[in-house]
Formats: sequence, structure tokens, C-alpha cells
Amino acid sequence: MEPTDIEPRPATRRPGPPRPGTVVRAVAVGLCTAAVTLGVSHLGAAVVDPAADPVLAVGAASIDLAPQPLKAFAIRTFGTNDKIVLLGGVYTVLVLAAVALGAAALRRRRFGLVGLVAFTGVGAVAVLSRPTATAVDVLPVLAGAGAGVVAMLLVVRAARTVTSAATGRPRLLNRRQFLATAGGTAVGAAAVTTAGQAIARSRPVGAESRASVSLPPPVRPAPPLPATVSVGVDGMPPFVTPNRDFYRVDTALIVPQVDLTDWRLTLDGAVDRPRTWRYEDLLARGLVERDITLNCVSNEVGGPYIGTARWTGIPLAPLLREAGLRPGQNQLVSRSVEGMTIGTPLEAILDGRDALLAVGMNGEPLPLDHGFPLRMLVPGLYGYVGACKWLTSMTVTTFDAFDPYWVQRGWAPDAPVKTASRIDTPKPFAQRPAGPVMIAGVAWAQRRGITAVEVQVDDGPWQQARLADGPSPDLWRQWTYRWDATPGSHTLRVRATDATGATQTAQRVPPFPDGATGWHSVTVTIT
Amino acid sequence: MNRRLFAAAGVIALLGLSACGGSDTDDTASGGTTAPTMSATAPSASPSMMSAQFGPGCAAVPTDPANPGSFDAMAKVPVATAASGNPVLSTLVTAVKKANLVDSLNGAQGVTVFAPTNDAFAKIPKADLDKVLADDATLEKVLTYHVVPTQLSPDTLAGTHKTLQGGDVTVTGSDMSFTVDGTSMVVCGNVSTANATVYIVDAVLMPKS
Repeated sequence: MEPTDIEPRPATRRPGPPRPGTVVRAVAVGLCTAAVTLGVSHLGAAVVDPAADPVLAVGAASIDLAPQPLKAFAIRTFGTNDKIVLLGGVYTVLVLAAVALGAAALRRRRFGLVGLVAFTGVGAVAVLSRPTATAVDVLPVLAGAGAGVVAMLLVVRAARTVTSAATGRPRLLNRRQFLATAGGTAVGAAAVTTAGQAIARSRPVGAESRASVSLPPPVRPAPPLPATVSVGVDGMPPFVTPNRDFYRVDTALIVPQVDLTDWRLTLDGAVDRPRTWRYEDLLARGLVERDITLNCVSNEVGGPYIGTARWTGIPLAPLLREAGLRPGQNQLVSRSVEGMTIGTPLEAILDGRDALLAVGMNGEPLPLDHGFPLRMLVPGLYGYVGACKWLTSMTVTTFDAFDPYWVQRGWAPDAPVKTASRIDTPKPFAQRPAGPVMIAGVAWAQRRGITAVEVQVDDGPWQQARLADGPSPDLWRQWTYRWDATPGSHTLRVRATDATGATQTAQRVPPFPDGATGWHSVTVTIT
Repeated sequence: MNRRLFAAAGVIALLGLSACGGSDTDDTASGGTTAPTMSATAPSASPSMMSAQFGPGCAAVPTDPANPGSFDAMAKVPVATAASGNPVLSTLVTAVKKANLVDSLNGAQGVTVFAPTNDAFAKIPKADLDKVLADDATLEKVLTYHVVPTQLSPDTLAGTHKTLQGGDVTVTGSDMSFTVDGTSMVVCGNVSTANATVYIVDAVLMPKS
């Protein structure tokens, strides 16, 4: 910001851009305009539909449009998507665009108006491109654009300059008016944004809807789980994962808030009788209850993205058969309310396994994070091919005809769960006294079931672990091994064998494109 | 002139405040339960603010978030996986694999890792390096000497810390300039991964015992 002249002030400064005054004015005009536009849009969206917020819509659209070079990034983020980083990026671009807009508006008001139309146009397109968008959803952006025009004209007017007789440089005609207008506009923008947030907080339609749901008791309840499914060793996770601890991996920028009065589930594509259900229609079919272990393809060897829950839901296969499946189809494409697509092999749904449309999780309606009002569950498949959350439509088609979201990004179209095992205790780098040490963990091979788990200490022989009960092949299985630990540093390894007799491969592959393999190891120190 | 700038800065700050407020709602909507790897830092801070990396070596880190070696990508995966995405840490990754420490490092919660660059390993005479790489027990000692079982921020970095190997590392310096055990400079510090904070250093640390 300092002039390059060597003479002390107030020597003459060279005319011509960039002058600090011009920059400050462009920043003030641009940011005031953007803040008012976004603030009013945000307030409007809070009233109409929180998902119609243009910033969120642009963020969601930029995830979906991520081009080929970003594929690696998408792969990395599969498990952990840090949505706030993305929103931060959207805001950064917004600020830069706003300053450019301000500079344009100062030059010619017409340029500013054109820029603002482009600026809000991007938001409008993003809002309308959402699969559940209605024409009403564009109103918040339009209201924001209108307010933005007023704000821009006001601040541009207040930022008029005259050429100073003393310095020959332009200076603000009325500094007080400029500061008051810019400050007032900013305060106004902050006020409408805050109001929008207050409304959005007070109206979580999904939470309200969920609170109003009372699931009927299952017509086919699951038998109680015997206590013998747990090994009862300290450091082990509970056999049934509490909802709050159940992993969450998805791409939703904000958790979708589904209002049950508007929500429908449709079945279309290559079926003789396409159908649409309301929530009550589905509940009226009668609920079944099943204990199922679900895991994420992006889990590293030994990773945390796995959990087991007692799910209640509607069997999926009969719904498809009743609709009259046409021959030659092999894929069911599920779509969530925010536009995620997941493709499941029809064969897996129809082969007799407990493929469900789940509405309940561990005795309560599906939590918002886990897909309220309804998610799909197909035991034996990784979530990204079988467990669409916030489900709203299902389309019978072929793998040739449609690539769902993750397949477009290079992941495998069909992904049965690979046999895997994990040491949960002792933890990595734990220090234990010499003597008996309980090694314990979980192993899983949904659909096949686990028949053996072996433990290896350093390069010693593989030893049989003791297996806890495994009531269903679709459930993980706990195991223990009592180790007489000797002083020193030791590496513990685990491997599992499934009911087909196949033992886990030692070969390490990363999660991309169809799930990690390799024996999990933990290094501990015995003193 | 200065007053005008100051006032304009105030206006900008106010606008910034309202923008930050917008992302607050999103934090409360999804932050608490999103990814298990999400750090539970103050929700009002922007991600770049809560994980500001520092040091001359940071310039060598790819900035394209699509690159697995970038800070953005490293922050989302556990530390050994993060390191394997970064080409300047490939020798370290080879050593970690050799010592069977990949899973343990990925599974350790809340640790600090001093990560020597390839150049750091190149400073060791080849014969000596090969000897260390060939001996798993020694290698494990050297590598676990680079791991502190608590998460050290730049504010808590200076001082003496017990390592997983058992010996102590001593970090001197302050602000953005730190030296580990007197000779190893932090060239890029405070790099976040899903389960560990990483300080990239320019010399391999050697346990005293």
C-alpha cells in the first residue's frame, strides 16, 4: 500500500492505478453488494427451503462437477470429506469475484449490474440444478439479487469522487457519507444473515419430521443377540454400535432436512408398473428387523469406518418384483434427495439376502446423519454400492446405461465386502507389563461369515484366536487371543478366514478402487 | 488517509464477520458427526486458520488439493497414508513400511510426528543408512524416536518431550523457527493429518540409547 516514491510525504504521487483509494472503494462496493445479496438469499432460503441457499448449492454443484484432475482428490476425500474446506473455497472465490464486481461497478454502473446478474446467475443455476428443486427455490436468489442491486447503487453513489485541487488526485466527495453508507449496508447484511440463521435453526424440518415419527413394532423382529457375541475385553467396541458413534461418510454439505409431508419414494425405469410411495405406505407393508454390519470402502486396513446396528426396514426384493422387473436389467440406481447416485447390482438385491429399505436404527427412527427418512442397506456390499441415504428414487436399469456417482470417479461398479480383520486392543504403541496380554478385535466377511481368526506375534507361527459367537454371516465377529508377552517391542498381526475357506491376502492394496486388503498389524512394547 | 483506511478495514472486518457467521450454521449441522477424522477445534475458525503450516519447506508442498501430497489431502487421511502421498517423504515411508509401522502410525490417536525429508535421509552415509534399513529393531527405535504420543501445537512444541521410543527429544526455538535435538531444523511445521500433527525436519533424529 506504500507509494514507491523516495521523497517523504506529502510529496506528489504518481497518478494512475492502482491507488489505495480505488482499491478500498472497490472492496467496499463489492463486499457490501455481495454481503447483502448473499444475506438476503440466505434469509429467503431459510424461509423457503434451506437447501435453496445459493452458496451451499454452488458448493454441492462444484463437488458434482469436479473434473478428471480432481478425481484423485475425490478419492482421497471419500472417507472423510471435509466440507468446511470446500465452503471456505467457495467463500474465497466469492470474495474475489465481489471485489472485481466492485471495481467494475465503480467504472460503470452498467458493468456492475451485468456482473451482479452473472454472479447471481451462477447461484440460480446451481440452486435449480438440484434434483429436488422447484421454481420457488429460485426466489431467494432473485430477492438477493434485487437487494444487491440496491446496495451496489447506494454504495457506488456514496463513493463518488472529485479531483482534489491540492493534490490533483481524486478523493471522496463525501467521506462521511461513504463510510456511513458502506457501514450501514454491512450492518444490514449482517442483520439479515443473522435473521436467516435464526430462522434456519428454529425450523429444522427434518428434525421436526423425525420427532413426529413413531415406528410400528416390527412384524418380524430379530431374536435378541446373545451375550456371547461379545468377548468382554477392555478396549473392545460394543458389538452393536450406538447411533452417535456410527461412522458417517458421505458428500452432503449439510445434512439433508427432509420434510415427510413432501417426501416420496419412487420406483421407475425398466419396470412394468412404476410406483410412488409415501412414508406411511411403506410402514404399512410391515417392518422386519435385522442385525447387519455395514462398512465403508474407503476404510484403510485397521480403520474405523465400520459399525453394526439393529435395523428395521421394508424388504426391498418384493417391492421390485411386484413392480414387474423387465428382463435384461442388472442395476438399481438409487438417488438421494441431494442428488447422490448409488448403483447396486440387482442380483445382490434379489438373491435372498436381507436387502432393506431401512427406516429405523437401533430402536429409533433413522437419525438425520444416517439418512432420515429412509436409506438402502444391502448386506455384503460396501456402502457406496448399496447403502444410499436420504433415498428418494430407485431406477431399474443396466450397468451399461448409467454410471453412478462413485463409478464416474473411478471406483468399481460392483464391490462385495472383502474379508478383513482388525486388532482393537492393545492399541498401537501401547506399553504393557510382561505376562498374559489379551489381544482382541473384530473380523468381518458379510454374506460369507468368519470361520477362523489367527494371530501372529513377530515372525512366530500363526495361532488360532478364540471366536465369539457369530449369529449371522452378515455380522462382524469378535475374537480374542491370550498372549504370554515377553519384554521387548513386538508386532502383532491378524488375519481371518471366511466360510468359503479363503484366508485374507497379505497383499496390501489401498481402498481405491474396490476396498483395501492386507493384514492389520499393531506394534506394542512389553516392559 | 490512514483514518479512511482504518475505517474501511473496519467495514471489511464486519462483512467478514457476517460471512463467517454463515459457515457457523453449517458446522453445527454437520461438523459434530461428520468424519471421525474431523478435528474438534473451535468451529468459528476457518480451516486454514486452525491449521496454519509454517516454514520455508512448505513451499515445496503441492498446493493443488487434488494432489495427495497437498496439505488439504493430507489433512483427511491418517498420518502414514498422508506421508505416502507426499513425494518428499518417500524414504521415510519406505522405512515405515519396512518396520511394519504403517498401521500403528495410522491407528495411533493424537500423536506428533517429526518427519525427515528424503534429503534428511540422504545426509546419512549410504552404508550407514542401508545398515539401519536392514535391521528392523534398530529401524523401529529410530522411527519411534520421531513420534511423541501427544499432539504438539507450535505453542507447545518447544521443550523436552518423551518419545514412543522412550528417549526424550528436545525442541528449541519459538514462533516459526524450531530446531529438534540441536541440529534438525523444522522446515515445514504444523501439518495436519487425520490423527497426527506433522513437523517436517531436515535431519534424521537419532535416539541417545
